[in-house]
Amino acid sequence: MTITNDLMTRETLVRIDGVHKYFGEHHVLRGIDMTVRQGEVSVLIGPSGSGKSTLLRCINMLETISAGRIHVREELIGYRETRGRLHDLTVKEIAAQRREIGMVFQRFNLFPHRTALQNIIEAPTQVKRQSKVKARSRAMELLDRVGLGNHANHYPAQLSGGQQQRVAIARALAMEPELMLFDEPTSALDPELVGEVLSVMKDLAKSGMTMIVVTHEIGFAREVGDTLTFMDGGVVVESGNPRDIIANPQQARTQEFLSKVL
Amino acid sequence: MSTLAPTDTSDRRTGAAHRKPELIDAVPVRHPGRWAGAVLILLFAALLGQSLVTNTNFRWDIVGTYFMDVLVIQGIGWTLLLTVLSMAIAIMLAILLAFMRQSDNPLFRGVSWTWVWFFRGTPVYTQLVFWGLISVLYPKIALGIPFGPELFSFSTQDVITAFMAAILGLGLNESAYLAEIFRAGLKSVDSGQMEAAEALGMRKSKIMWRIILPQAMRVIVPPTGNETIGMLKTTSLVLAVPFTLDLTFATNGIANRSYLPIPLLIVAALWYLVITSILMVGQYYVERHFGKGVDNIVPAPVKPTPAAAAAKAAKAPKVEDELP
Repeated sequence: MTITNDLMTRETLVRIDGVHKYFGEHHVLRGIDMTVRQGEVSVLIGPSGSGKSTLLRCINMLETISAGRIHVREELIGYRETRGRLHDLTVKEIAAQRREIGMVFQRFNLFPHRTALQNIIEAPTQVKRQSKVKARSRAMELLDRVGLGNHANHYPAQLSGGQQQRVAIARALAMEPELMLFDEPTSALDPELVGEVLSVMKDLAKSGMTMIVVTHEIGFAREVGDTLTFMDGGVVVESGNPRDIIANPQQARTQEFLSKVL
Repeated sequence: MSTLAPTDTSDRRTGAAHRKPELIDAVPVRHPGRWAGAVLILLFAALLGQSLVTNTNFRWDIVGTYFMDVLVIQGIGWTLLLTVLSMAIAIMLAILLAFMRQSDNPLFRGVSWTWVWFFRGTPVYTQLVFWGLISVLYPKIALGIPFGPELFSFSTQDVITAFMAAILGLGLNESAYLAEIFRAGLKSVDSGQMEAAEALGMRKSKIMWRIILPQAMRVIVPPTGNETIGMLKTTSLVLAVPFTLDLTFATNGIANRSYLPIPLLIVAALWYLVITSILMVGQYYVERHFGKGVDNIVPAPVKPTPAAAAAKAAKAPKVEDELP
């Protein structure tokens, strides 16, 4: 599969223009440009410290950007621009923007004092003010979708890492986001549990969800990814069709990285 | 089972299951020191027991007479009321102070810091005397526009009674200590929890109240139980206000009238022990509640709704895939 014309004609969902990020003196992102179209699976790879996780966290304002712009569906993220000046959004406005963006973390971050079901219905009932009955039946559907219908009443501590991560995916999906961000979703898992999480992500990709995935799973990138972006030292080194890049990397740095992880 | 494949692991395993292994029956390490210690302790306990029975100065008959005395029982009631109300005020203030201390708003952080600095930095006895004298300092409390008209006013003495002064003194002082305990508890929760909740679009106040605080309670409850038991005894300082109906004052009063201080001290001490023991039981249940999902994993409290139950039942035959 190559990037189909179909995908090229779809509208842009995420537009990242000239984004820089400093942590104090440390220049982590050095001018990133990237677009993600509706329904695209965009895979970010790169060595640790390359800035790929930071970029992902900037998209839903877990980090603020130092320069550049990020738009999601033509809406500027984190700021309002009036008369040529940027104004910080209020916490309420930031929360509203985040509702459109689901995030899955490396360390799952499920709420340990809540069962799987309670984890999933927390945001729909508290943020979207859905009725408990509605939120629960939707949560049960999502649990079935990630293959955990029988684990609704389990606490996170009673679930394996793979199961926890699948609940975390269901929790993010419960807010019906337009965009899903995955921050190394399988890096904290035992090798034999990686597959179950990847297969849930594959299903999600098939269903047409727009996804940005930071991962070290080259196989996933090749099989499911529409675009692959290789980052190093805070810049995009190479970007394009995953199968082309993996088979035939153009940049020396990409070749070197892929030779180590493949 | 194939005899042609003796190296087959399943075969070997079944073979091991048939032959019962010889269980280890080792001689344990002896602890003669423990036995000697136990004998010594028993000896001292016996001596103490003997003196409790034979020493007539204890006046156990007087202890018995006054143990259920009306004044003593009333004193217990007041002591409990003081403890519960002042702890309630302290806990509410402490949550507020701890949240304020973590706020992005520098004004809140400053107010919280100053509050803790002041109420922790002065003796509770001094604060109690001060609250007792508040009506001398401010005979009338009025609300109005500075240098302008007065909206309403009341006499301080009518509102800040001795009981009120005692509760305020104890509660405000305690809130400073509890605020630090709550702050430590909030800090103990993994920062990923805040991020996950933020990513779901939850507001900060909701995150604190529904996600962070319940998890922090695991850390907060044990020292707060400690503080509650401490407060039970600290209520005996309310004579500084002066408030004169609590357990210590009541038993002291009886002791002074009857010239029998020792048995009345025993009455008070026994009652404090009883109440402390009850509080410890309560703490056990509170700890169990907040340890849910982490320290104790009980069958989940969620009852599926009929709709969800039906949806689940309909899909139940679907085979689960996560068995390793």
